[in-house]
Amino acid sequence: MSKNLSQLARRQGIDNTLFQQLVFSDSVNSGLVNVDIDNSADVVKQQRKVLAKKFLMGEAVVHGAASFYDFIDDGTNEHNANKKAYVCNGSSCLCANTQATVKEVLVAQFGSQNVGHVTCLGRCAENGAFQINGNNYSGSDITKVKQITDQSSTASNESFQVQTTLAEPILTAKITDVAKYYQLFDELSKQFVTKNELEHLLDKLVESGLRGRGGAGFPTGVKWRSCLEELGFNEQSEKYIVCNADEGDAGAFSDRYLLEHRPHAVLFGMLMAGLLTGAKTGVLYIRAEYPEAIKQTKQAISEFDQLILNKTILSDFRFKIIKGAGAYICGEETALLRSIEGQRPVVSVRPPFPTQSGLFGCPTVVNNVETFGSIHFIFSELNSEQNSGVSKYKALGNGKSTGSKLVSLDGAFVHPGIIEVAMGTRLTTIIELAGGFVKGIKALHIGGPLGGVVPLCEIEKLTIDFESFSDNGFLLGHASIIGIPQSMKMIDYIAHLFEFTALESCGKCYPCQIGSVRGQEMFEQAITGKQSINPELLSDLLETMQLGSLCALGGGVPLPINNILTYFENEVAPYFLSKKSTATGEQ
Amino acid sequence: MSLASQEQVQHAFLNGVSYPIEQGESILTFSRRSNTEHVVPTLCDDSRLEPYGSCRVCCVDVALVAEGSRKVMASCHTPINHGMHIFTHSARIEKLRKNIIELVLSDLPPHTLPVQQSTSNTEFEQVVLATGVSEVRFTQGRQSVATVPLTFNQKGEASLCDESHPYMRMDLSLCIDCNRCVRACDEIQGEQVLSVAGRGFDTRIIKGQDVSFNDSDCVSCGACAQTCPTGAISDVFRQQLTKVQRSDQLSKDQYSKDQYLEEQRSTIQTPIEKIRTICSYCGVGCNLEVSVQNNKILSIEAPKEAAVNSGHTCLKGRYAWRFYDHKDRLDSPLVKIDGKLTKVSWDYAFEYVAKRLTSIKSKHGSDAIAGISSARCTNEENFLMQKMMRVVIGTNNIDCCARVCHSPTAYGMQKSFGTGAATNSIDDIKQTEFILLIGANPTAAHPVTGAKIKQKVMKGTPLIVIDPIKTELARFANWHIQLRPGTNVAVLNMMAYFIISEGLIDQTFINERTEEYQSYCQAIMALNIDNLANIAGVDKNLVKQAAVAYAKANNAMSFHGLGVTEHSQGSRAIMCIADLVLLTGNIGRQGVGMNPLRGQNNVQGAADMGCQPHQGAGYFSVEDTDSITYYQQHYQITKNSLVNLSQWPTTVGYKIPEMFNAALSGDLKALWILGEDVVQTDPNQHHVVASLANLDLLIVQEIFLSETAKMADVVLPGTTFLEKNGTFTNGERRVQKVNAAVKPRTGCKTDGDIIVEMMNALGFPQAPYDAESMLEEISQVVPFFSGITWKNLGENGLQWPVEKNGVDTKILHINTFKRGLGKFHFYEFEESREILENKSEFPFILTTSRNLEHYNAGTMTRRTSNESLVSEDVLLVNPQDASSKGIINKSKVRLYSARGEITLTAQISDKVKKGVLFTTFHFPELMINRVTGDVTDKHTKCPEYKVVAVAIEKT
Repeated sequence: MSKNLSQLARRQGIDNTLFQQLVFSDSVNSGLVNVDIDNSADVVKQQRKVLAKKFLMGEAVVHGAASFYDFIDDGTNEHNANKKAYVCNGSSCLCANTQATVKEVLVAQFGSQNVGHVTCLGRCAENGAFQINGNNYSGSDITKVKQITDQSSTASNESFQVQTTLAEPILTAKITDVAKYYQLFDELSKQFVTKNELEHLLDKLVESGLRGRGGAGFPTGVKWRSCLEELGFNEQSEKYIVCNADEGDAGAFSDRYLLEHRPHAVLFGMLMAGLLTGAKTGVLYIRAEYPEAIKQTKQAISEFDQLILNKTILSDFRFKIIKGAGAYICGEETALLRSIEGQRPVVSVRPPFPTQSGLFGCPTVVNNVETFGSIHFIFSELNSEQNSGVSKYKALGNGKSTGSKLVSLDGAFVHPGIIEVAMGTRLTTIIELAGGFVKGIKALHIGGPLGGVVPLCEIEKLTIDFESFSDNGFLLGHASIIGIPQSMKMIDYIAHLFEFTALESCGKCYPCQIGSVRGQEMFEQAITGKQSINPELLSDLLETMQLGSLCALGGGVPLPINNILTYFENEVAPYFLSKKSTATGEQ
Repeated sequence: MSLASQEQVQHAFLNGVSYPIEQGESILTFSRRSNTEHVVPTLCDDSRLEPYGSCRVCCVDVALVAEGSRKVMASCHTPINHGMHIFTHSARIEKLRKNIIELVLSDLPPHTLPVQQSTSNTEFEQVVLATGVSEVRFTQGRQSVATVPLTFNQKGEASLCDESHPYMRMDLSLCIDCNRCVRACDEIQGEQVLSVAGRGFDTRIIKGQDVSFNDSDCVSCGACAQTCPTGAISDVFRQQLTKVQRSDQLSKDQYSKDQYLEEQRSTIQTPIEKIRTICSYCGVGCNLEVSVQNNKILSIEAPKEAAVNSGHTCLKGRYAWRFYDHKDRLDSPLVKIDGKLTKVSWDYAFEYVAKRLTSIKSKHGSDAIAGISSARCTNEENFLMQKMMRVVIGTNNIDCCARVCHSPTAYGMQKSFGTGAATNSIDDIKQTEFILLIGANPTAAHPVTGAKIKQKVMKGTPLIVIDPIKTELARFANWHIQLRPGTNVAVLNMMAYFIISEGLIDQTFINERTEEYQSYCQAIMALNIDNLANIAGVDKNLVKQAAVAYAKANNAMSFHGLGVTEHSQGSRAIMCIADLVLLTGNIGRQGVGMNPLRGQNNVQGAADMGCQPHQGAGYFSVEDTDSITYYQQHYQITKNSLVNLSQWPTTVGYKIPEMFNAALSGDLKALWILGEDVVQTDPNQHHVVASLANLDLLIVQEIFLSETAKMADVVLPGTTFLEKNGTFTNGERRVQKVNAAVKPRTGCKTDGDIIVEMMNALGFPQAPYDAESMLEEISQVVPFFSGITWKNLGENGLQWPVEKNGVDTKILHINTFKRGLGKFHFYEFEESREILENKSEFPFILTTSRNLEHYNAGTMTRRTSNESLVSEDVLLVNPQDASSKGIINKSKVRLYSARGEITLTAQISDKVKKGVLFTTFHFPELMINRVTGDVTDKHTKCPEYKVVAVAIEKT
């Protein structure tokens, strides 16, 4: 990251970010029909020159940032941006084996040069996912591509189940009266004013045991407290609350569910974070692949603003949506912050942590959608001994992992969708509730591309909580579950994971930047029969990525690969040089 | 925590041994500082840049207790903590490093795997060898260089290597994506010409919007080339140096040791020497490291540990040095015989000059002779020059180019504070919380200081720029007060008014450390602010906001340049700045003060050494009886000496403009000019030429046949800074050692030698020039040099005053001003005579300045590839003016004033306001000084270059 660029971006503020100008000037460009290619590239160049001057940054900065994203066009036709249709190539759709047909239909309709690719539209419950004109489709929608194209029927037929095992749902609870929902904030903000009083509330949050739902599981109260402490408790100091809604993990769609169906729960959590840290601005970074989530969140923000206008609640907190542009790494919090600032979204070193120096160099809380979604429940009935949200929340789970968790179930399940369970719920219970699998499954990929690959034989051991997964050599992550069918060759799945990492690596650290490509090549060469895999070299590579990578992408992908190598040794063995021949140096 | 426990030394363990730690340092810094044996290798680290953490080669094992579990962490960005155990070379760490390097090598051409240790290894190769990687086990796969587009060189040939630029080179086949170049461009130079395109494996370094170096906005500072660990970004000279080193190495490898030594003896393979010296381009005083072989310069870099420039410099210091052996160099003394400059021997030249001077002196008296010394020359040479004029000739007619640049600064700051020099150090920029920049364009004229200011401002330090031009820093300013040229006093008085009226003065400071506040305050408060705003053409609310912000800042530092001094009210504007400093108490501590950005490399030194008509070496008055005695004693002049007391000069001599007037009127007969092209650079050229033509004897000591030298009766070939020893004093009073990198060009003598031999020819026994002994002589005369010796200057020099014990001074006026109390001066704005007399006929105001690529008369820079970067002076014209005059971009315009006219190319630009024109003065073909006027600063006679009444029309 560049301190200079962060501070130059800060001068323009959150309402005028270089990144959003790039994203939206791009859609302006896409309106330039019938402009020949050279000319449109020149238009883009000229626009970027103007932007660079306005932001007092070098033209290289603007060009470099724009070139990072899948959906920011450079005016040439070689880019993945501004395609008429996109095919989802996420792991779930891959496992569902639906995409060959989808692509065929779309290519027939639009021509191959007009069909792009996108990694996970979050339509994992139905699969067969694709996008046309900025709208997402899945399942049977592919049969009506013609109607979608001629605009006669543009609605998606999407449907998935939402269930819960909880007597009193937390995240899946319906919000019927929005004004009433925010009354809690009004009460708390009047009751807790001084720093001491706010610290008391933070103590309560810590007591609830809430841990970040983005995957790392860091205690939320501790994070918020460090942001409160930063720069002192000062009305004037500039701080930010950022909601990480860049749910890029293939197989996961629980954040999408919350933003589309429970946006006020998320906004409320951010609002409380603002109160407890002294921040006045909440930024939701929502990925471009989730158009409906952006739409619903926008709607919710205008409802919130109306409550302020009506003086139903008193607050000077304001929300801002930042629309992503297609880059998995933006789900990493420092890359996300750089993305908003208009820098290249590469991972920054820590320290400083975002709570010390985050967005525009200001103290910033970054939390996942689901984390914010639990806040209302936790702070409700605060003064009740028995019935307070805090005590009910911490009563769920194993003491270390508390509260509830949303689990995303993909199309491999009989009843795919979202299920809210108490932490500590057995994995087998969830599978039973989902009605089992629609086809033969040999493993579950849980927690996104960097989560573990759990063979069926290990399923019995697992409960939904951070500890159970890590103790057994897996990762809870975002708790998304993809069923890997019997028909999927594990050697192909490893190649897919390496390919994904190579495509999405920010390119900053060598272990991930180069290692992912070399890994992909090793497996491709083995699959095509050109060269068997040297197990020692692969082991060195995986160790290098795991120990050496700067962030969880390069550092995390060795986990599922190692799981497969361990549990499916026999299946992949033919692709490896035998141990004996490597020892003697033969091939 | 008790005081005792706070003071307990915090420590950590490095490979089992305990070492003290420093607050906030990284594990890498700790390990490097503590033990130099177990070196942690790195690729992406450059200590001058923010920790980046991309190469991961610096990973170490970290445990919180001795036998505790270990975690792999990147040492460059992980802070060291009390009690940590660091293992830099555990088995798994060594394996990790090796595997990472192997990955890097897998994306490089096979030849980049180095075979063995050698002095010519790149930083990358050294790391590869240190980690012990000897093979790449991966089968040849994708190479990221495959996605790099080709660029076209100057001949139009497509190539993977970018050879489009006169200096910069890029070959991405060698790039390891460490991004040090990108970060140096951003974090050191602040230009952001470099960035990265794409993501993942295919990321690659780009310039601008993926254009060639030549088409980019690159300012050729070379920071990227200097930090690149592989040579992927380089420059023409560095490439040449590498080539020489490699062939040197090759010969070592090919021959047996004896043969090699034999060759060494036969001097075919002379080793490359590195000589540290000081740049002669501006007052920043960058340290340079010159690589020399066989008396030839191969390349120039900036030493990383230099206090002034920490491994950074600009394209002039780093690349514009080829003038030193240019074919145009003078190589023999010339004497005008039968109206033609004719080559003569040195003996003849000295004898001729001695005869002519002696005769003029006996016929017309000592004061018929004058000298102009050079701020390009060393302190020692300047000292000798004024000594020759005063002691041997017997006149105070000695001046230097400070006259035409910062004489008002020296004068004004002496009046206000007592010392006419920068009050603080450039390094204070790190500490300051507010910057006030007036009439200066440091990113062009003082690039390293400019870059430091820009870094600070980009990171959020508030900046006021008072300048008629929208300079690079004005773009970044919070308040750009774009005043009409010549109205500094009006705007500075407005600022004072608002500071006082808003109750933001530092009353305690004013009470304790200043005088004349009451009368000053009364005068300021009586001003008509609306009227002043109108005169200056500025928004009074903007001035108010700026003034309030400045006064409220805890530590505000001011910088100014020739945009303040080169005016009819130059000295007064200086005192107005000093008034603001005194009003707000911004003086006498770190991060504050008033800091002139001195123009030439040694202009501070030239004045310190006494090259002024009213003050001798060390600033004693030439008219004061005590100081006359002081000088006579120190120069050991007695009744009986060759030069005796009776001819000692006791009156103030001519300032430069007065010299020209005296020459024209016939009072001045002989003029000796050392290294200055007055014909091209002094205002009102017709007047200067006529004056010089009227002299009986014009002696010019030069390295090229300049416009002035062409008029001379005698031309003496001197030497460049690369060929001489001595000291330069930079703009922050830092006296630094200049070391000769090469021998003087055949036929030339160092300027010190020339003056010494001339003194001897005139009958004064001056010992042969030697930097060390000259410095000793100076330290006996100049009190603030008393503690300076050649030896104790060390590599980074000392800032005067230097006490006898060698302690130097970073900040002046800490407890008391040199003159006792700081003095307020009130001056009312006065319109320049130039405007009053010429406004109706010549309604535009022309203001002139330097650009980044060239230096003053361009004598040096035009004889380098900088010429191809910028090859003409252009005239900036506001779009409105251009349209009303029918001028189109890049068309020729006629520019004329009451003195003369020139024709030049117009560039339509919003950097100038309506009614204002701007150009540079580097090209003799143009001779901008044909149009400049002869109004000067009332107090110092500094010419008003910055305000010229002109008219324009399209041709």
